[in-house]
Amino acid sequence: MGAPIDNAAGRCLCGAVRFRAARVAAEVHACHCGMCRRWSGGPELAVEAGTEVVFEGAENIAVFRSSDWAERAFCRICGSHLFFRTIETGGYSISPGLFDDESAFVLTEEIFIDHKPAFYGFAQATEKLIEAEVIEKYAPKTGTEEQG
Amino acid sequence: MARIEKATGRCLCGAVAFEAKDVKTRYGVCHCGMCRRWTGGPFPGVEAPGGVTYSGEENIGLYRGSDWGERGFCKTCGSTLFWRAQDGSHLVLPVGAFDDQEPFELVSEIFIDKKPPGYAFAGEHKTMTEAEVFAMFAPPADGGEQP
Repeated sequence: MGAPIDNAAGRCLCGAVRFRAARVAAEVHACHCGMCRRWSGGPELAVEAGTEVVFEGAENIAVFRSSDWAERAFCRICGSHLFFRTIETGGYSISPGLFDDESAFVLTEEIFIDHKPAFYGFAQATEKLIEAEVIEKYAPKTGTEEQG
Repeated sequence: MARIEKATGRCLCGAVAFEAKDVKTRYGVCHCGMCRRWTGGPFPGVEAPGGVTYSGEENIGLYRGSDWGERGFCKTCGSTLFWRAQDGSHLVLPVGAFDDQEPFELVSEIFIDKKPPGYAFAGEHKTMTEAEVFAMFAPPADGGEQP
């Protein structure tokens, strides 16, 4: 397990939205749920960034409420995916690709592994959680068949 | 090479739906920094030489990342919709947007030299570096990634 990264900066593709996270986990998780793959095209990669994330250009952030308990945000100008966030905790999950320095990030966990199609897979040894295990571990208020 | 005559798909919220023709089932992922910044991960692009027609086209946002490429997304939910060359010569659709993904097969990885070390796909795939991709598609020499 890598040490968390302090004061990590990132931005969307066009630069209309910039952010700085006080502390970001180095562990990356991949979500294989159908909603994430429908949204991003493939498995969505994310790191936990907690609630201390400061945005610049926040007026360019569009938020899509994808379920009763979670929302997904993107840049209005370029469409870059900015974060996934559960309403209850307000904690940001941010894609490693948005950060200016990605060198410390390592894939360690795959969630909704039972929703992964057979035609791709990651090479790393990861902890793999099926839907029921994800719900148990992260305990969203209501059961859902997707990440939300 | 296996192809699907007609395949349908949509964004997460359903505001944009599409029908693609002559869809290639063997697809490649792009590891370039622009794709990863844009979608949240390596971008899995399916080629559809027969073209694509959209419903809800008014909900498509377009971003021109360079002089020769443009990226489409749903303005309502932000779903990734396509990468295409501005001259219409090349179009890729995200594999996750298709309603039936059963036939797809990952066969290649491009911009492999831009992939960060923290993840990798399992299996043997044809790989291409940035220089090899540019040599094949010969875009203007403005450098950097799959804009």
